[in-house]
Amino acid sequence: MKKKHKKRYKRTLQDWIFDICNHLGFLLFTLACIFPFYYILINTISDNNLVLKGSINFIPRGIHIKNYIALINVNDLGTAAIVTISRTIIGTALMVLASAFVGYLVTKKEVWARKFWYRFLIVTMYFNAGLIPWYLNMSMLGLTDHYLAYIIPTIVAPYNIILVKTYIESIPSELEESAKIDGASYFVIFRKIIWPLCKPILATIAIFGAVGNWNSFTDSLILMPNATELQTLQHKLYNYLRASTNLKSLMNSGSSTVGAAAMDNVLNAKTIKYTISMITIIPILMVYPFMQRYFEKGIMLGAVKG
Amino acid sequence: MKENSEDDKIYIVQRICTMAALVLLFVPSVNPARICGLIGKNISLFTAGTSYSSLCENFKRAFDKGWVGTLSMQVVFLSSLLICIGIILAGLGVCITLGSLKLKQLGNFITMAGGIISLISCYGLHWAAVDIQGTSKPDKVEPMMPQGIWYFIIFSVLIVFITIVLLIRTPKPEKEEKYSMESKYKLFFMLLPFIILCFVFCYLPLSGWRYAFFNYKAGDVLTGDKFVGFKWFIYLFKNESTRNDLIRVIKNTLAMSGLGLATSWCAMAFAIFLSEIKNVRFRRFVQTFTTIPNFISWVLVYAVAFSIFSTDGFLSSILIKLGILDKGVNFLMSSSHMWLKMLAWGMWKGLGWGAIIYIAAISGIDQQLYEAATVDGAGRFQRMWYITVPSLIPTFMVLLLLAIAGILSNGMDQYLVFENSYNTDYVTVLDLYVYKLGVNSGKIPLATVIGMAKSLISVVLLFSANSISKVIRKESII
Repeated sequence: MKKKHKKRYKRTLQDWIFDICNHLGFLLFTLACIFPFYYILINTISDNNLVLKGSINFIPRGIHIKNYIALINVNDLGTAAIVTISRTIIGTALMVLASAFVGYLVTKKEVWARKFWYRFLIVTMYFNAGLIPWYLNMSMLGLTDHYLAYIIPTIVAPYNIILVKTYIESIPSELEESAKIDGASYFVIFRKIIWPLCKPILATIAIFGAVGNWNSFTDSLILMPNATELQTLQHKLYNYLRASTNLKSLMNSGSSTVGAAAMDNVLNAKTIKYTISMITIIPILMVYPFMQRYFEKGIMLGAVKG
Repeated sequence: MKENSEDDKIYIVQRICTMAALVLLFVPSVNPARICGLIGKNISLFTAGTSYSSLCENFKRAFDKGWVGTLSMQVVFLSSLLICIGIILAGLGVCITLGSLKLKQLGNFITMAGGIISLISCYGLHWAAVDIQGTSKPDKVEPMMPQGIWYFIIFSVLIVFITIVLLIRTPKPEKEEKYSMESKYKLFFMLLPFIILCFVFCYLPLSGWRYAFFNYKAGDVLTGDKFVGFKWFIYLFKNESTRNDLIRVIKNTLAMSGLGLATSWCAMAFAIFLSEIKNVRFRRFVQTFTTIPNFISWVLVYAVAFSIFSTDGFLSSILIKLGILDKGVNFLMSSSHMWLKMLAWGMWKGLGWGAIIYIAAISGIDQQLYEAATVDGAGRFQRMWYITVPSLIPTFMVLLLLAIAGILSNGMDQYLVFENSYNTDYVTVLDLYVYKLGVNSGKIPLATVIGMAKSLISVVLLFSANSISKVIRKESII
């Protein structure tokens, strides 16, 4: 039967033209999406003199990794990396824990005024007081120029709470009830039953949360104007991209003139910008393959609102 | 039984007192630790008790010259910390009294201890306030008696008094009774920390809307005489420069959102055409790599744009090689077609990601529909148009309605990173304008007015979109 089908509908010329155009169109768009990353990469690992002349466009030449090593000399990039990495790890871990726990609690019908508190948490997705009141609130709490400003406000994430809640509701309640009959407390049930069963959804929110944390830039820009040591990588990159092309301003002022001259051979403003961009992109590209599995789960579950 | 209900009433009074004291911890204007003018007006007792550095922010000169002894500030810090601990303890104790008789007793002891601690610490603050009055430079240090201290003394005394009454009235629990609490309260108290966090970071900022009605500069304290009513609302429209700014900004905002809305079908088209590709490997390849840009921040998008379009970027060097240009041109510095360029970057970043939801929806379409249509002689385009598109329309409508509700919120990241002196007139959207007005120029009331109007309109739009969806689709979107 199937064979017959295929025979009956032979591909016409129109089909061929459509298919070719379609493939070509997608190929071009895909290239447009990845070529810039490739371009930045080859410019960071190629011979710096050639890069400066603009002759590295498609193929890397004179490959070296000195640019990446030389980044150590760039002003407080190390602290920015530590701040960004630590806030990503701590912030994500706390957010996942809190989302799991709150998601579990709001499925419990016994909670005093449960509906009200659930809505109290969820409604915050749909309104905000605005940037300035938010900023004034943060400064009133003493969180401007303070590391905790990255962590504490992100702990309660309403959207993720919805995701976890929806997921827990799909778990058969008998599991929990039997544990309860055996005398397990709420904490024990959460730790021994809910947490292991929710791992897929927790992985989803963890990965999206981590990417969000890594990428967040506005909070650093607005809340850390004076604490340069607390600014994130994204913020530093923003500053470097917009800074004048004067290389000296990017480098440690303490280094001697000889050292700076030697450095000029290795680094120039162009490669330094590209290299910082690259180290900011690389972690995202590294977790990306793991993320892909969770795309659809994350998106489709989001469509189910509680 | 009757006694019990009377007890309950006393408990309610006790809880209200403790709650009030807890709230007062965070109100800067009743800060009892503000014993001299050098301590910031915006510091609440909680900040004073948790951060010594912000308490002594302006004291460097005073310490150096010996106007104020470090000891008295340390006493202030310690007393504030103890008051905070005491009142938080009282709060915990009050929570515990919701449990069984034995827990009630324990809770009352804790509450009493907390009240007494904060009462004693109030004396510490008083001592420091008296001590600082002996300063050698009263005009610089401005010593004062904090009025707020009376609130804390009154509340602490009330809490201690009521708790003692309760302790006397509560019957002694049996020896073998266990500590237990109804599960509804137990679960609620597990949830409570998160509710408080949510309140502090999402609801508390709403109180900042009051700045829209005052003459306020950063660092000021709000007093009654600075109240100006709707002055800033009127100023926004009366003042020619802000009016012109606002008109331009709203034009930009609506243009960008409008372009976004007008092209929102693109993600659907992307998904439909992608599903026409029969080679699975190629399809996965496209899907994988077109989604990447969604996961990099706008700063990195700008880094990408920079690498391609800046003076020594890819495009310039290619054009020089081809002999079209003799010198590199920074394409990012031009102001032509900014709206379309911003749209293009938005598409570059979001198109592949936006298509995923449609791809998922397409895989959910019943294949029999296609087979039936093929048997009836429908061609490829007919199948796409009459089967795929109608099945995706519901999803499309939901996303479209949400996009309409968010028409004023373009976010500011994209426009902030791409903005420069050449194109600022075309890319400044409402969010960016508020940021520049409030954070860069320090015009806090004006920025608050705009942000407030924006928030209110957005909420109204969202609810309208929701009710439209309810009427048409019999389903709500929020």
